[in-house]
Order: sequence, then C-alpha cells, then structure tokens
Amino acid sequence: MPLDAKDPRRRRSSSLVYTEPPESLEQLSDQSALPNLNAEWVNAKGAWVIHFVLILIGKILFDIMPGVSQETSWTLTNISYTAGSYLMFHYVRGVPFDFNSGAYDNLNMWEQIDNGDQYTPAKKFLMFVPIALFLVSTHYTHYDLTYFVINTMATIAVVIPKLPSAHRIRFSIFSPPPDDA
Amino acid sequence: MDLQEAQTAVTRILHDASSQFQRMPGSAIILRYIKSSYQNDPVRSAIELFLFLFAVRYMLAPSYSTQKKVKLSEEEIDELVDDWTPEPLVAPPTSFEEMETEKRAVIVGPTGPKSKLSNGRTVTNLASYNFYNFTSNESLKEKAITTLRTYGVGPCGPPGFYGTQDVHMKTEEDVAAHLGTPACIIYAQSFSTISSVIPSFSKRGDIIVADRAVNFAVRKGIQISRSTVRWYDHGDMEDLENVLKKVTKEQAKKPLTRRFIITEGMFENIGDVSDLPKLVELKLKYKFRLILDETWSYGVLGRTGRGLTEAQNVDASEVDMIIGSLSGPLSAAGGFCAASREVVEHQRISSASYTYSAALPAMLSTTASETIALLQEQPEILTGLRDNIKAMRAQLDPRSDWVRCTSMVDNPILILVLKAEVVASKNLSTQDQNELFQDIVDECLVNNVLITRLKAYPLAQGVHPRDQGWQPQPALKVCVTSGLTKKETEKAGTIIRHAITKVLKARK
Repeated sequence: MPLDAKDPRRRRSSSLVYTEPPESLEQLSDQSALPNLNAEWVNAKGAWVIHFVLILIGKILFDIMPGVSQETSWTLTNISYTAGSYLMFHYVRGVPFDFNSGAYDNLNMWEQIDNGDQYTPAKKFLMFVPIALFLVSTHYTHYDLTYFVINTMATIAVVIPKLPSAHRIRFSIFSPPPDDA
Repeated sequence: MDLQEAQTAVTRILHDASSQFQRMPGSAIILRYIKSSYQNDPVRSAIELFLFLFAVRYMLAPSYSTQKKVKLSEEEIDELVDDWTPEPLVAPPTSFEEMETEKRAVIVGPTGPKSKLSNGRTVTNLASYNFYNFTSNESLKEKAITTLRTYGVGPCGPPGFYGTQDVHMKTEEDVAAHLGTPACIIYAQSFSTISSVIPSFSKRGDIIVADRAVNFAVRKGIQISRSTVRWYDHGDMEDLENVLKKVTKEQAKKPLTRRFIITEGMFENIGDVSDLPKLVELKLKYKFRLILDETWSYGVLGRTGRGLTEAQNVDASEVDMIIGSLSGPLSAAGGFCAASREVVEHQRISSASYTYSAALPAMLSTTASETIALLQEQPEILTGLRDNIKAMRAQLDPRSDWVRCTSMVDNPILILVLKAEVVASKNLSTQDQNELFQDIVDECLVNNVLITRLKAYPLAQGVHPRDQGWQPQPALKVCVTSGLTKKETEKAGTIIRHAITKVLKARK
C-alpha cells in the first residue's frame, strides 16, 4: 500500500450513497499513535449509568413543566435522548482533541468505538437504550397516531445508523463526496 | 369428522399452552403489559414486537471485527519470519561515498578563515558559514565564558519546564526588536525549528502551497503536518497565483481550513531569493498565511542583516511567520520564529520541538544577542562581507567558461552549477556532475583552498528516483567570509576557477 494512496470516494453518478474508503497507511499509523480517548470512555461502567441518569433527569424536567401531559413529556424525553445521541454518535466526525493528528476526521464516533468492531458490549448497550426507552414510553402512555409516529421515527433514526450494514456508509444528498486530493 | 377432531385437538393444545403460560412466573406481568400496550391497534403492537425481537437478535449476535485481518497459520508465520531479511538501517556506502569519506578534510583546532588540517597543512577555509568571522571575536568569547560561569552549560530542561532563563527571554526580545515583529520564540535547534513550526499550525485537511525547491527541513515539516500539499514551480509567481486560484476555487464550497504559503527567503539549494512583495500581495489577495523560512537570509541580507524583509523593503509584520537561524553567521545556535504575539504563544505549548527538547544553552543565547547587536551597530561588517562576495564572484561567474552562479549577489554562499551547454556537450549525468565537483573540491584542497559540494537531501527510503520530486542540480558551494582580505579572497577565487577549468578540460 503506498504511503498516502487514497481510494477516491467513488459512487455511481445516480447514487446518493458512498462508502468511506479504507484509511491510508499514514492515517492508520497516526490512528495507532495514541489510544482513541474520544471513543474509549463508552466502555466505562459510569458511561452506561449516565444514560439512565440523564433520561431520568430529562423526564423529571419535562414532568414538572406546567401543562405538559404524560404523552408530551415522554415524547420530549424520547426525542431529546435520540437527538442528543444522534448528534454525538453519528453526526459529528473526528476527535475534538488533537491526539491523532486528525487521523479520525472521516469517521463518526460510532465507527470509532471499539475500532469499528460490531456487536461489542458497548454497542449492544447503546442500541438497547433507545429501543427500551421507546417501548417503555409507549407502555406508559396512550399515544395518539401523531405521537406514536414521531416517537417511532425518532427511535428508528438512531437505530438504523447503528446497524453493522451502515458502517462507513455516507449519504450525500446535497453535496458530492469530498475529494481530499 | 377429521375437521372436528383437529379442532378439538387445537383447542386442547391452546388450552394446555395457556395454562402452562399462566403457571410460568411473571406471566401475569407480560399479559398485563401486552394488554395495556395493545390499545386496539395490532399494527402498533407488531411494530413494538418487531423492535423487541430486533433488539434481542442484536443482543445475541456474536461480535466481530471490521478490520481486514489476514489469518496465518503457525507454519506460514514461521516461513515468513525465516524469509525475512532486515534491510540495514543505514545502506552500505556507495563507492562514491567511500571515496568522499576517504578524501574528507579534517580540521584540527579552532575553525576560522585559515584552518589547520589533520595533515598539517593550513588552508583557506571557504566551506564554513562563519561569514563574519565572529568565531575569532575575542569579546564574544569572553562574554560566552562569563555566561558559562554564571549559568553553567545546559539549562537542563525544556523551555516550559525550568528551561527558560532570563537570557532566552532577552534574546527573544532582541530578535523581535531587530526584525520589527511583536514577538519571537527561540528554539534550541535550527533545523527542527521550521519542521516543528509547520505542524504546530497546519494539520490534516489544511492546505499548504509550497515552492518546489524548499529545503529538507521544510519538507520534513510539511510531511509531519499531514496537510494537503500543492507545489508551485520554483520562484514562479504566476504559477503560484494559478495554484492559489485553483485551491480557492476547489475549497469554495468546503468547510474553511487553514491555508499557508511556505517558501524560503533565500533558497538553500539554489541561492536565489523569493519575491517577497509579490508573495505578500498574493497571500492577502487569496487569504493565505505566509510562512517564510529565512534560515539562510537572516543575518545576511539587508542593511543590518534583518533578512529578506529588509532587503526588499517589506514590513516584517506583513509576513505571518518568519523562521530564522541563530547558527551559522550569528555564531550561536538554535533558531527562532518571529511573528505576532498569538502565533508565538501558540507555539509555546503546541510546537513539538520547543516543548520536548532542552532549551538553548545560555552562553549561545547571549552570543546570539551579542552578534545581533553587532550587526545592528556596525553595518560595515555586512558591507565588508559584500565586498568580498563581489570580489569572489568576479573571479567566478562571468569569468569561468564552465560554471555559473545561481546565488543572488548578496549571498555569501556561492552556488556554482555547470552551465547548461557544458552539461549538454559533455553529456553529464547527475552522478557525473557530482563526481566532477568532488574532483574540483579535491583539486582546490591540493592548492590549499577548502570548499565543498552542495549535498542534496536524501531520498526517502524505498522511493523510486522517478517519484522523488524536485532535486537540486549538483553544485559547488563556496562560502565567502569577511575574515579574509579582498586579496586573499580573489586569490582563492582564482584557484577555484583554475581548478574548475583543469578538471573539466581533463574530462572528455
């Protein structure tokens, strides 16, 4: 493999989807220069507990707001959790600190967790939380159709990018794939 | 009959299953859950059930790696290990290198314009960067010794960790005041200054536009920075503008990145200078930052040795970063980066060479301050050198039929390359030219003049010569010093010219 060979992010002209190409040797060596501190903390036990704590705090917060029904409160909790986790795990790419000279710039956090391995305990846990939250919320409420659709959509939006088949898949609807030449 | 039997059987089975289910612990909870979440909508329940089953399946799936790994058996591993012969860390010397090492002149005792060699002869030294002969300045020596008695030899720590001493801060102020920039930072090694400054600002994804002929240290810095590099032809401002235009156009729709133009003030391998006013104009027009490597021009160009900014009348604060050297003509050691306060402060914590290597020894720092003061107070030191450069050039450039000088007129390092027609008529390869120049160096040494060849930077390991990029033309390097009189310089110049003629005439 040449030192900085780059597979261009090729896609068919009609397709809106492309796959993130494998890293060059230079990027790989920069990635392994330091452990990826950005993704390693998800394996800590405290990092698992904090999900439940945050959800609980969110629920209490929405409950104490005057005039908010149980349906709205659960929906708001669900949406804020899914929005937050989507932003954190699937939207933002790279590492916020300068540990690996930007060698992770093309990967989001979900892809950085456990070096991209699938079905690891941390990933299973992170997949379990939004589904469980959704099931619990539908159980304790009488959603009308609109609320139900909103909650289902929010859950699916964080479940699909977590699928192993979505690994390194990018959608580029408004912009062509980047070419780092 | 059959139908009725089947019906009763099914009813019985269902009944059994239901009673079994009710006997199961927790079955009541499940029933209650399903009942309460059913809400008269089978589609909802189906979605929930699907999500639940999906979650169960996900939880039970075995983990696997997405990294492509080659599985090797024990035998295959052994075989590969047996087959492997390590490449030597240093390649064995070529016959040319061996010959060069054998003939290399060794100076005994202090270096100066007249140096004593290990074979007992005294030669005129035109191979050292001791342009102003500060090495034999007694007052500088005394001051260095005084500093040594007060501060000891090394500061024993990196600048951020007890390594910074008052003399370093004074030198920083002196350089900044000399150049006219708001601030300055002193590094302990000249070579690693630029190769550390570049990666502390430019990161992966950022864009560097650099001159093809930049020196090895700049190349290393660019390589470490992992930035995207675009090259422009050496000194070609039109090509630079085209590259800048192209980059600006390409990047228009992308997230904003840092962009730099990197070039040398005076080129190490060619000896000519950049067109600084044009560079500043272009960098302002296309919104780039300019990093100028003045390693070879600081202390040399300009009326008081401020470098290219003074020589071409550009305000030093127009250049975003000026990197210079305190070794060589200033007879100290280390390098500096003169820039705005923010740029300098950023380097104090994020520039690898500053953060991780021990600070400059105090006596070298005071020596640098002293020599900078000397250059400012006595500009005749510089004019004296320039007279000698003129005298040496007069002997070589227009007079010699074989070589021409690519250095600009004020450059004390005369880079002499073979004229194009000479190379063409004699059909000389790069290797041939190097050998010829080595012969000339040897011939000069016989006549008691010590000069050297331009030693090009090495190729990266495993790179094919075709992919090496720009390589300098083989050249002779004659370093003029003001430690010699004009007569002595002229005499040495004549010897060099005659040696060139002799060697090249002998070559058929």
